[in-house]
Amino acid sequence: MFEFLFKYSPSAFSKGRFVFLTPWPIWLLALLAIAAAAALYFHVRSRHGLLKGMRPIVIWLFETAMVALLLLLLWHPALSIATLRPQQNVVTVLVDHSRSMGITENGSTRLAKAQEIWKDKLAEPLNTRFQVRMYQFGKTLDRIENIDQIKADSPATRIGDTLTQIASESSTLPIGAVVLMSDGAENSGGLDADTIARIRQARIPVHTIGFGREFLSSDIEIMDVAVPSRALAGSRLNAQVTFRQVGYNGQKTRITITDSGKVVASQDVVLKTDSTAQTENVVFNAGEAGPRALQIKIEPLSGEENLVNNSLSRLVNVSGRKMRILYFEGEPRWEYKFIRRAVEDDKNIELSSMVRTTPNKILYQGFANEPPGFPTTAEELFGYDGLIIGSSEANYFTPGQQQLIRDFADRRGGGVLFLGGRFALSDGGYARSPLAEIMPVRLPANEKSFYRDFSSVVLAPAGKDSAICRLIEGREQNIERWKKMPQIANYQDVGEVKPGAVTLLEVAPAGKRPSPLFVIENFGRGRTGVLATGGTWRWQMQQDVKDMTHETFWQQVLRWLVQETPGQIQASTPRQVLSDESKVHFRAEVRDKTFQPVSSVRVLGHVVGPDGLSETVTFNPQPLEEGVYTADYTAEKPGSYLVEVTNSADTSRDVIMFRREDGIAENFRTTQNKELLQKLSEQTGGTYYTASDAKKLVNEISFSDSGITTHQNLDLWDMPIVLLLAIGLRSSEWLLRRKWGVV
Amino acid sequence: MLALLVSGITGLFAFQANFRQYPNEEDNPAPVPPDAFERTEWAYARLRYPSGKYASYSQDKGSWPTDYPKADRQFVAGVRRLTRLSTRSTEQVIELDTEEIFNWPWTYAVEVGHWQLTDKQCKMLREYFQRGGFLMVDDFHGTYEWEVFMASMGRIFPDRPVVEIEDDDPIFHVLYEIPARQNRLQVPGLQYLYSGRIYEKDGKIPHWRAIYDDEHRIMVAMTFNQDHGDAFEHADNPQYEMKYTSQAYRTGINYIIYAMTH
Repeated sequence: MFEFLFKYSPSAFSKGRFVFLTPWPIWLLALLAIAAAAALYFHVRSRHGLLKGMRPIVIWLFETAMVALLLLLLWHPALSIATLRPQQNVVTVLVDHSRSMGITENGSTRLAKAQEIWKDKLAEPLNTRFQVRMYQFGKTLDRIENIDQIKADSPATRIGDTLTQIASESSTLPIGAVVLMSDGAENSGGLDADTIARIRQARIPVHTIGFGREFLSSDIEIMDVAVPSRALAGSRLNAQVTFRQVGYNGQKTRITITDSGKVVASQDVVLKTDSTAQTENVVFNAGEAGPRALQIKIEPLSGEENLVNNSLSRLVNVSGRKMRILYFEGEPRWEYKFIRRAVEDDKNIELSSMVRTTPNKILYQGFANEPPGFPTTAEELFGYDGLIIGSSEANYFTPGQQQLIRDFADRRGGGVLFLGGRFALSDGGYARSPLAEIMPVRLPANEKSFYRDFSSVVLAPAGKDSAICRLIEGREQNIERWKKMPQIANYQDVGEVKPGAVTLLEVAPAGKRPSPLFVIENFGRGRTGVLATGGTWRWQMQQDVKDMTHETFWQQVLRWLVQETPGQIQASTPRQVLSDESKVHFRAEVRDKTFQPVSSVRVLGHVVGPDGLSETVTFNPQPLEEGVYTADYTAEKPGSYLVEVTNSADTSRDVIMFRREDGIAENFRTTQNKELLQKLSEQTGGTYYTASDAKKLVNEISFSDSGITTHQNLDLWDMPIVLLLAIGLRSSEWLLRRKWGVV
Repeated sequence: MLALLVSGITGLFAFQANFRQYPNEEDNPAPVPPDAFERTEWAYARLRYPSGKYASYSQDKGSWPTDYPKADRQFVAGVRRLTRLSTRSTEQVIELDTEEIFNWPWTYAVEVGHWQLTDKQCKMLREYFQRGGFLMVDDFHGTYEWEVFMASMGRIFPDRPVVEIEDDDPIFHVLYEIPARQNRLQVPGLQYLYSGRIYEKDGKIPHWRAIYDDEHRIMVAMTFNQDHGDAFEHADNPQYEMKYTSQAYRTGINYIIYAMTH
């Protein structure tokens, strides 16, 4: 319709510049228009004196508009636009040959549809005006001569990489435009801003033609699974499974996590709104030390169109390392004893504790050599992975020790847990101490915030899905179990929860609103928490001796405290599972014993891969990030890889695990990613076409600033809209005159 | 509003026994301090058990309140002064026919050479110890009282031996360094001032015995052939020698600190 009225496409108007082709100045047009308006005004007044009110004005307006239109046309309006010179430009045609293009819809594959459109609608007009270079792309980019030779067999779709290569070719070739024929099922993580910027820099418009259905009618697809990359043996872990579905709104299915075929967790889920991302948390046990290759699967429902996108794999490095925790308690109390008892059977936790029994005496437990008191040096304190501060006044710690505790979380990356008590939190003066900054709550100023009232504990919404608060298997069963937990002996007001912190438990004292009891957050490289009670010991004393909920809770709290605490080397990779990819990036933060970044050491990665592969990779220091070393590696074969990262200056080490899986990526996101194709066109000055309107491309492809261009003036005076406007003005005026009797 | 209502309802279940007097059963009355009802981390939890031929409390006060409440209140004054422990000025009497004992992980029982626990009480005490409770028993002397004591204790723990606590056990060192056995005093009852004997009946040899759990932690500590209760009760008596009071206080405090740390 637009093109019928305006003669040219919207993209021509958006790319072109409006000009007048007559040599006469614009001010003359304006002057003549005003003069004509004035003359018509006097004319209407003298001829139509019998008309009253606004009627002569309306007649005058119609006549003036008509004269103005005619004057405008006399000035010869036109669109000035850059167009590709015939026969001098290259048009690059990119045809997606990933496996998803082989999906059959309405009797033919997406690729067959693309081939048909090319041959029937595009090949001839483009070949006659441009030099056409055709490529097939998927995992790699390959030049081809004939579209018929393409097969939908590539295991991945790399649109970003493909366009980056084409953009680099533009420096030697007059590429006027790119035509990308694809379903947009990009599976290398999407198009990043850098890739778009590079293409825009080359000023090449990318016209996209989308193939494939935008929605399946019935499908469940796992979009992502977030699990910790490392864990302590025997820990409960949380797998955050994000998926979407269409066609099964309100139906039930089951998420199952398996480790080498053995089911480690399963959870029923009710499917929510169609096409909307839904996230469910599944808690599972990490099991014994060693690498875990987990398969996360959603049970298929009947009639599902794509069954292979119902599962994803993830890796977890389960460590058997013993983590060291220092517990400082300011007074003898039951919580101290029962925490110690709760974790004494945990093989992965080594709890060293000190309690001030009298004003000048400390009882030490769990130390090979008794220290002279709370650590005063970084080397001493940073030898621990976690720290618990019990009911001890803030000013018991010297300013230097307070700074050390802060650095313990911030620089060393350890976990710090503050407990409630009569000398703790606000009552202990922490609100006014530098340690207030590292707490996940804003403590109240009131220093009478500790209450010895038995009170119930309730799971906060986040606690329902937290592995820390999972006392028994099964989300719903766990929620019910918490309702039966005995009351705690005491609690403390913690004030406001800071933004970014998470409340896992609340306390519901008699006659008061529930308030935060257990709040955690990440701080610096580490994590901090406030558990505002010294009274969970009642969970042990009030329940049957065989009940293990008290032990379970505290073991999980302490594991949370130290599980992510890094060693002197913290090595990582952005993606642990490479789906049809081979390139992997490693990053290592290297620190000394006081956890200050180390710049001038040799960092090596010893790679052990499938089929006995063994290689060494050298990490390079990053000039702008002190203590950070990176390396790139190509995993030639599919399978599991283990990289031991070492620092030549000491014995510190860390391990990275990753896995290359082939033939996976194209199973996901099999619908047309129209959003990505549209975005790509808009950002580069091209246009998105559906398969049915792809022919329009032939006319619009010439409008381009890239390649070898010439400026062309497109006449606007003969647009149908002008004629319709002129007829409309005159006939409207005539009809009004007739109605008012002044014809 | 709903949250308040819910928390109010849940609050109905918030209950811990407060300080209560047993005026008709007091052995040695003492003034009730103004902060008697203060809520603290620890209180001197005295077991009110059935004893002798009076298996119920209805007809006779029995042996449980021996030295009560003066010994209790005088001892906790020392605990308050000498440690950082949050301590109530008054004792807490624990009825063994309720489950209140599970709110008090440290308990004290006197004159257990006369106790006669019911099967139900034995079962509850076994559960109490296994969950983490601690009991100090005191002021029982000689062969006969030991047998009476064991008649009940043997039903609580038929499977666990009573052993002498070794000198290097942490219970003798957690706060005060209690001397080795050969230098340790036998803490006598007040009667020694009149009889001239620091022992009672045939209990000439003092013992510091215990029953341990599987992790080698003491659950029941016995000061056999001794009377720490009298040492507490008569700490203000110039005639009762300070050396006994001193050792009794140190031992008692060590038993508390041990129970709260092991």
